[in-house]
Amino acid sequence: MAEETKKSEGMIIEEDTSKQSAETNTEAREERVRYIPAPGTYEPAITLNNVSISYTTMQKTSIKQMFRRKNRPKKEAFEAVRGATFEIPKGQIVGITGKNGSGKSTLLRAVAGIFSANEGTIDLHGNTVSLLAIGVGFQKSLTGRENILLSGMLLGFSEEKIRKEMPRIIKFSELGDFIDKPVRTYSSGMYSKLAFSITAVLETDIMLIDEVLSVGDRHFKKKSYKRMKKMIQNRKHTVMIVSHSDATLRSLCDTVIWMNDGDIKMIGDADEVLDAYEAFMEGED
Amino acid sequence: MKIYKQFFADIKRYKSYMICAAKAELKTEVADSYLNWIWWVLEPFCLMLVYTFIFGIIFAKSEAYYPLFIFIGLTLWNFFSANVKKSANMVRRYKAIVSRVYLPKVILLLVNMMTTGFKMCVSLAIVLVMMLVFRVPLSYHIIFVIPGMLILLLFTFGFMCVEMHCGVYLDDLTKINDIVLRLLFYLTGIIFNIDQRIGKNYPALATILGKWNPVAFLLSAVRNSLIYNQSPDWLWMFIWLVISLLLCMAGLQIVYRNENNYVKGI
Repeated sequence: MAEETKKSEGMIIEEDTSKQSAETNTEAREERVRYIPAPGTYEPAITLNNVSISYTTMQKTSIKQMFRRKNRPKKEAFEAVRGATFEIPKGQIVGITGKNGSGKSTLLRAVAGIFSANEGTIDLHGNTVSLLAIGVGFQKSLTGRENILLSGMLLGFSEEKIRKEMPRIIKFSELGDFIDKPVRTYSSGMYSKLAFSITAVLETDIMLIDEVLSVGDRHFKKKSYKRMKKMIQNRKHTVMIVSHSDATLRSLCDTVIWMNDGDIKMIGDADEVLDAYEAFMEGED
Repeated sequence: MKIYKQFFADIKRYKSYMICAAKAELKTEVADSYLNWIWWVLEPFCLMLVYTFIFGIIFAKSEAYYPLFIFIGLTLWNFFSANVKKSANMVRRYKAIVSRVYLPKVILLLVNMMTTGFKMCVSLAIVLVMMLVFRVPLSYHIIFVIPGMLILLLFTFGFMCVEMHCGVYLDDLTKINDIVLRLLFYLTGIIFNIDQRIGKNYPALATILGKWNPVAFLLSAVRNSLIYNQSPDWLWMFIWLVISLLLCMAGLQIVYRNENNYVKGI
């Protein structure tokens, strides 16, 4: 039974995206000119120069291991991202695709400033940045309202601005009275609704999206997808989306970065890259 | 130098966040209880009664103004130990936040210090009320509380930086902290006067316990100025001020140099 509901939910997503692409297909054909400016003719928003990120140096240890000379955990370098170099123009929508564990999320977090790169530089040219990922970080014992305030401040907004936008965020989240209850009492759906609403209303210059274009129940999914799409496509924001959904990337992105085992395998026009990626994946099967 | 500049810039930038976060944290600690904020006063007061009863009446080991003596001890000790205990798993506790958005990790420490500091201020207010009740003679010495508390703040912060850094990579630290802090609780002279109880028979040991342990030394300095009308030992005050400042500087260096790797560690 549970599986069935899951299945049907999955169908809804597909249905939604296919419907959307069907709706927009006719007009989009001519309208959707991908924004890929020639080098030097644009204002850059994100510049990565030879960025490598590895998880080696930070191995957790216990006292026992510290004294055990022989069996010390080997410091083998695990490079999650290797030599990433690219530049994203302001207003461009960039998708990142690739197999699981190919370094997509790591790259996104490095751009968000959560990880430091072991080598190379990341320049955001003074833009504000926010990362939207599944289950954005809340303090569970605080109320939804307090979490909105704190999250907003961490995203670099002033208290005044957040208090002004608070009603909009609460309205969008559809949480009602729950907004004044501790977040630990929320269902997982409510949790992601709140997280989504904060990022949807408090917009930053650069938006990094990790796999969540739609959250919550069917109704909220539609609403959040629509909102996301609108926000992404108004060209005010520079957007990076990590996604496995081919349809999403094709319909939203200008360019796509294909990552494979930490390397950037290909970068360019969304359709070209995704075609190559699909062919590659079929070959793997 | 760059790191210290960064530190003060971060404090300025995250000032309103810190205040909001500390307020929210304090509120939630008592939000679900019936007595609400009264607990901030009630909890330390009841603990003082417990210790006064056990040590003052059962063991009849009374110092002058014994309830006050214990209460001041508990106030300062609770501030120090609560901060140290929490900093060891600070990054892990706030994983949900620090893995989603960049936040200077010292800000986490400062928020924690603000909440524990608020509770300490409530306790100190009770101390003042108790001093009136016990008719403690007041003198200008009361001013010397300020340098004593200031050095305690500095030392605690520096120590927290080191604890937080080590705690990211060493899971065992929280357990070690529990044991060491329990031992220190009895060695710091919270429930007895080190100079009087140990100093008589073992003067060398009393110096080690009372002067080499900054919390014990600062505690007795604060007590002396509040209830015994004595000036602190200025030479040792200076020594601990310098050590605390150096510890803070080292702690800031360690944290700022490594903080972007912490998320990878947890």
